[in-house]
Amino acid sequence: MRSLLPQLMVLLALLVSTAAGATAQLLETPSLQARVDSGELPPIEQRLPSTPMQVHLQGEHRPGQHGGQLRLLMGKQKDIRQMVIYGYARLVGYTPELELQADILQSYDVVDDRIFTLHLRKGHRWSDGHPFTSEDFRYYWEDIASNPELSKSGPPRPLLVDGEPPRVEYPDAYTVRYSWDSPNPYFLTALAGASPLYIYKPAHYLRQFHPRYQDATVLQQMIEQEGKRNWMGVHVNRDRPYKATNPDLPTLQPWVNTTTPPSERFIFERNPYYHRIDQNGRQLPYIDSVALSIVSSGLVPAKTGAGESDLQARYLRMDNYTFLKTTAKRNDFDVRLWQTAKGAHLALYPNLNTNDPVYRKLLRNLDFRHALSLAIHRHEINQVVYFRLVQESNNTVLAESPLYKPKYQSDWIEYDLEHANRLLDELGLSERDDRGVRLLPDGRPLEIVVQTAGESTEQTDVLELIRDSWMAAGIKLYSVPSTREVFRNRIFSGDAMMSIWSGLENAMATAENSPMELAPTSKYQYQWPQWGAFYESGGHSGEEPDMPAARELVELMDQWSHAETHQQREQVWHRMLEINREQMFTIGIVNHVPHPVVVSQFLNNVPDSGFYDISPGAYFGIYKPDTFWFDEIRR
Amino acid sequence: MLRYLVRRILTMIPTLLVISALVFVIIQLPPGDYLESHIAELQSQGEAVDEKKIQFLREQYGLDKPMLQQYWYWLIGMVQGDFGYSFEYDLPVSEVVGDRLFLTVIISIATILFTWMIAFPIGIYSATHQYSWGDYGLSTLGFLGLATPNFLLALVMLYLANVYFGTSIGGLMDAEYIDAPWSMDKLLSILEHLWIPVIVIGTSGTAGMIRRLRANLLDELQKQYVTTGRAKGLPPGKLLRKYPLRIALNFFVADIGNLLPTVISGAEIVAVVMSLPTTGPILLAALQSQDMYLAGSFLMFLATLTVVGVLVSDIALALLDPRIRLGGTASK
Repeated sequence: MRSLLPQLMVLLALLVSTAAGATAQLLETPSLQARVDSGELPPIEQRLPSTPMQVHLQGEHRPGQHGGQLRLLMGKQKDIRQMVIYGYARLVGYTPELELQADILQSYDVVDDRIFTLHLRKGHRWSDGHPFTSEDFRYYWEDIASNPELSKSGPPRPLLVDGEPPRVEYPDAYTVRYSWDSPNPYFLTALAGASPLYIYKPAHYLRQFHPRYQDATVLQQMIEQEGKRNWMGVHVNRDRPYKATNPDLPTLQPWVNTTTPPSERFIFERNPYYHRIDQNGRQLPYIDSVALSIVSSGLVPAKTGAGESDLQARYLRMDNYTFLKTTAKRNDFDVRLWQTAKGAHLALYPNLNTNDPVYRKLLRNLDFRHALSLAIHRHEINQVVYFRLVQESNNTVLAESPLYKPKYQSDWIEYDLEHANRLLDELGLSERDDRGVRLLPDGRPLEIVVQTAGESTEQTDVLELIRDSWMAAGIKLYSVPSTREVFRNRIFSGDAMMSIWSGLENAMATAENSPMELAPTSKYQYQWPQWGAFYESGGHSGEEPDMPAARELVELMDQWSHAETHQQREQVWHRMLEINREQMFTIGIVNHVPHPVVVSQFLNNVPDSGFYDISPGAYFGIYKPDTFWFDEIRR
Repeated sequence: MLRYLVRRILTMIPTLLVISALVFVIIQLPPGDYLESHIAELQSQGEAVDEKKIQFLREQYGLDKPMLQQYWYWLIGMVQGDFGYSFEYDLPVSEVVGDRLFLTVIISIATILFTWMIAFPIGIYSATHQYSWGDYGLSTLGFLGLATPNFLLALVMLYLANVYFGTSIGGLMDAEYIDAPWSMDKLLSILEHLWIPVIVIGTSGTAGMIRRLRANLLDELQKQYVTTGRAKGLPPGKLLRKYPLRIALNFFVADIGNLLPTVISGAEIVAVVMSLPTTGPILLAALQSQDMYLAGSFLMFLATLTVVGVLVSDIALALLDPRIRLGGTASK
């Protein structure tokens, strides 16, 4: 993909030039024609913003035709939020090349990363036809984020710089300005997230649930009717754009939920006021409706294999691949392998905050962590568990990231028992018991207990292989499965000395993405939960990092937040990656694990290869599912 | 009899109170609460967690209150017919369960009828033709049914039905009929899907019932009044129906107590495997995600049905069989 970049740049340039050029005749959507004729809906010209976002499809991606219903399978009712992720209409969004681009916004200006001026599209409307204006931003900022009852602990974190809220201005109906005194590098990425920061809300709809605009007695009636404690309950329950549970809530997404939960099947209908068009003047999305069937997640592979889904990746796993391949022909679908964008599919997390003082000292010793890594036979794991389809790697950024350096990936991952044994001997762990297990300074055998969340046998399979090679280095490994909550609590309390989990969430990062995951910033980081809690709580809980490298990471994190140029951020990123490489705080095993994606043969414009990951990428989102279309036979 | 009834009904109240306390404590036993398992789920999928919002929800859901107070609100609510609020669905519990109750009852009743229709003739045949080839053959079949893991049978049958009959996998109807108004096509689609869960859930029950009916009937068939009847020349069919079979049915009546809750809960594991729109999967998911009011109210509902069912079967037994007495004191 890296080598593709220049070509993609050309493509992008072409895209921009054509968008500025021809404006094709707008075509009415056939499935909406009847409603337009009856006067229920205005014609296409009046439904679109005056400058719609034109998507130029070319090459493999051809402009298509309207119609059809996309069938998807989901495992839980809560999963309908995936439609908001797949839809991926954001104020600003990522392109497949991971560059930020105005989407719902017509454009945006940034001054010194401090002042963000957002320009809305004139004539843009909510899915119910009401105009989308700066009033919707004002409602969010003044009546939600700054409301002491709705937001008791203040506005969300990405809107705060050094604890200070922004100044928000609304120069006119189509302009909104957020400004801070210092740079806020989190703002745009938060807006572009798969689960985005919503700084706009449909004010015309939500007002009726807000005491500032609604009569107190009417509101009281609603509270009682819905059995809520207070008006916040009523308001919050309606205002869930990400969960998509409220069919009445207007939205800007390509498809709008029309089914009130609870249900086993949710129908999302096209948004007649959606802001994107193709080069032929057809309003997107091409596909009229999306049907999500809620089934047991264990049945999803079987149902997909039976041809009951048109586009499925969720709840499919690599070990379903062969089954899907065998049924693909009979049921008219393709099985494609996409990549996952995690820094490590599996990584070992030595808990540097573990309670046992002897093990804590040992785990904090760099030579010991190196020895642990050298004693893992990653190549064998690749062959035995992953059919040699994956990359043996540290837990770091992927080759597709502009921040990648080969040494980040490959240092200290070779299988070298001799070296590992030498390192361990030099640490004074040369005594062994009759099993051949090394003895700790206090005479106990060196037994490392690895906690797993007990969710997949894959983790235990990999641990089984590591157990063998560690034994050769004189380290005894035990794995303890538990449930996810117990797992996290054990790590956080320090009872766990090591755990296994996936690595960096966003390993396709650019310098503009936050490097939070590389520094102790959250209590959910299993290598240093206490230090993370310390940062997260501003020093109220947890422990202050007492390793120089960890302290430096926190400082670098702060530098990144206050950096003013791309170069500075890039420098900080590289320094942080370098520290993580040197220190090996997490022991990555493999990454680049493929993910099966099932695509109906009649569905066009789904890329043959891509990244299946929520961040970045919003799963299918950055590939614009609104441009997917069906062949004649399914329309 | 009336005194007995009143006493039994009055003892149900403390029983249910104890059950409610137990249910509540057991649901709360695992570490954390709903919101923590919610955070864990979000994070495992790489989604952003807004701690401030979690704090807000904790207050809205009342999870910041002490446990005793939570229990008290739940109990008072239930007495008034308010079963609490499901965090997972963001809906009152009654709305979550309500929709599914009807389909659950359909499946359960069909299963029970299926079980009876198969088990009765076989049980009677096995008992009257003890140690014949037929008895052995049917017993083997019965044991097979008892021994086969339900979920495995379910998967195999789903696959076969899909490949040979083109039935969609799992669920109780084709996707397009979900939430659609009732029609002939919808009914047909349900019938097309219904037989698999009925057979799967039914097989193990059938086997058990065959064994019990056979054993009970055999006990009776050895008795002297049967020999006498036979000696006096009663036709064998009439003899069987009139006396031993009726007495052998006691176990069956005693079973009603267990039947009531099963009708409502459905077979949980099979329902999850087959993705049936019944209440079973909801209960399981609620227990997993610590959606405590949904799980708690549902378990309470089942407990109430069990207690009522046991009472009903006790009364029915007393009415059916004069040898059964209402209390230990009457035996003097």
